[in-house]
Amino acid sequence: MTDTIKQPENSPANLKKQGYWAGVARDGQKMGFWFILPTLLLLLFIVVFPLFMQLYLSVTWWTPLEGIPWYRAWEVFSWGDNYVYQFTDERVRGAIWRTILIMIVAVPAQFFLGLSLAYLFMDNFPGRKFFYSLMLTPMMIVPAVVGLMFYLLFQGTGPVNAHLGLPSTFSWLTDVNRAMISIIIADVWQWTPLMFLILLAGMLGVPTDQLLAARLLGGSNWQNFLKIILPRMKAVIMIALVLRAVECFKIFDLIYIMTKGGPGVQTETISVFLYKMTFGEFEWSYVAALGLTILFVLSVIAAKGLAYIAKKDV
Amino acid sequence: MSSIQINNVTKRFGDFTAVEDLSLDIQEGEFVALLGPSGCGKTTTMNMIAGLEDISEGSILFDGQDLSSTRIQDRNIGFVFQNYAIFTHLSVYKNLSYGLEVKKIDKSAIDSRVRAMADRMSITHRLDQKASSLSVNEMQKLAIGRSAIVEPRIFLLDEPLSNLDASFRAYMRTELKVLQHELGQTMIYVTHDQIEAMSLADKIAIIDEGKLMQYGSPLDIYNSPNNRFVAHFIGSPRMNLIDGELRQEADQLKLIISGGAEIALQGQIKSDFTSDGRVHSGSFGIRPQDIYFGDKRSSSDIEMKGTVDVLERVGPKRIAHLQVSETSFIAFDDQDQLKLGDEVPFYLASDKSMAFDVASGRRLGVI
Repeated sequence: MTDTIKQPENSPANLKKQGYWAGVARDGQKMGFWFILPTLLLLLFIVVFPLFMQLYLSVTWWTPLEGIPWYRAWEVFSWGDNYVYQFTDERVRGAIWRTILIMIVAVPAQFFLGLSLAYLFMDNFPGRKFFYSLMLTPMMIVPAVVGLMFYLLFQGTGPVNAHLGLPSTFSWLTDVNRAMISIIIADVWQWTPLMFLILLAGMLGVPTDQLLAARLLGGSNWQNFLKIILPRMKAVIMIALVLRAVECFKIFDLIYIMTKGGPGVQTETISVFLYKMTFGEFEWSYVAALGLTILFVLSVIAAKGLAYIAKKDV
Repeated sequence: MSSIQINNVTKRFGDFTAVEDLSLDIQEGEFVALLGPSGCGKTTTMNMIAGLEDISEGSILFDGQDLSSTRIQDRNIGFVFQNYAIFTHLSVYKNLSYGLEVKKIDKSAIDSRVRAMADRMSITHRLDQKASSLSVNEMQKLAIGRSAIVEPRIFLLDEPLSNLDASFRAYMRTELKVLQHELGQTMIYVTHDQIEAMSLADKIAIIDEGKLMQYGSPLDIYNSPNNRFVAHFIGSPRMNLIDGELRQEADQLKLIISGGAEIALQGQIKSDFTSDGRVHSGSFGIRPQDIYFGDKRSSSDIEMKGTVDVLERVGPKRIAHLQVSETSFIAFDDQDQLKLGDEVPFYLASDKSMAFDVASGRRLGVI
């Protein structure tokens, strides 16, 4: 149908057919290529190359301790043994479970705190701008520094015990259960602001007159929140949750500084475990296999989440 | 359904006074239009009635009851927003049922009321669809239906027809009138369109720069405007308002208009102008249909002579712009005989003319 109608030279339909570069001279195209080449090479070097190197190492027994250069790792080819082993490794299982534990406690906590704060900031109370900036500061602090702050706070002789009136023998970071609680508290403290920021943006996107209309129709604040504000925020909520959930797999600095994964392996998450395997045990091929598996799983989760968002016509 | 008394209400935003000392008395079941140019404070007035804005001074009483400390959600006020504020993420059904659901009314009762309202608004076939899929016209109906279904004590409409296409606007005007009659609702309607106000309202409140200019029935306002602003604002084509200096010569009172031409005042209009002896510059007002050609119909009518400058056709009639020195009079050429450039005599009907004080804009004489 559209083929029979003659489209003007520069109509969107025509441009699409010939590619968006159609109107640009050949020379221009070539020049464009040279412009992006340096970045392209850099990306190739820092993303694509390591990825393939990792893929290669993951199917060998290679470790830097044996004196064979990495490109000759095929000499100790292991097929898929690393991939099989990771599923039976108790320490991996424990680390993943602890990562998920942090995720299912910290992310909902951040979500509900962030949501309540965002709702609070919908009103124009005095000092709103000041508190808004104040709210965002934890997010701006380097995680390692946050780790150090909470490391000091949770010392036996530190301010937390002092304020709670607990004896200095009451330990947080060296206790089997409380170490994890401390880390979750630190993570919630640092990342609630991000949740708050995203959720507030979503909440401010709800049209004001619809909220007014809902109030004028007699809906209480709670009813309007549940039926008007929340449903309209679905996509934003999903983005915030996926973002934070995926980030949980990367949580490292905090834990490494506060507990080094201890006591024992009680706070060892997957990223801490990977670090220890890499620089403690030098099991590089195993780490490569595990890393790729996690990358794959997380990509699937993120893709599912994004597909869900794309489906929403908000 | 209730009556509303607005008592000396003032609204300030910082240094800016949006509404000043406004008083209106709206009877139960009345349809009142707040009419005025953009930025005159009519929407602010409506927002204050709805409780969306605080009142700086004065009070608004509903059936004698002050609701200023009542929460918005408990006021039971129907409000139709200019852009309708439809809940686009919900279905049409859920939009209609919202006001009932939040009151925890029995499900089957909600269902029958929603269906009745959908039927009334003829959007039944749309009930299960998402509200975002509606056309503007249907959204308009949904917005009215959604407010009407909770049987509010009063109904406020903020320029509800301004987003509609012309033919649907005419239809919706009639529809609103019928609806108001059916519901027997007290309705307040904000508009800048005098035709809407004239055709819909029982009473019109004309507001300019935050002040009430006149409050009365459409005919009252049209036939006897209180002041120069109302006279100028109401009527299409607009009233001729000719400013000039009053001069007494022998026993003849004349209005000397721009360019030196004279209007020899006679009859009722003469006594109107002289009713306040301190006024020296007056404004002579006459509607285009009260200027006529041909034979003089009454001895007190004022004879003028002007050149036909412009002729516009408006439907079956023509509008003639008659140039008298530097002033232009607009008149209806009902006999279709004028030609461009003609110098013709015409008459100003004295008993239909109005006198205003230029300085204060106040109407002189009658009232």
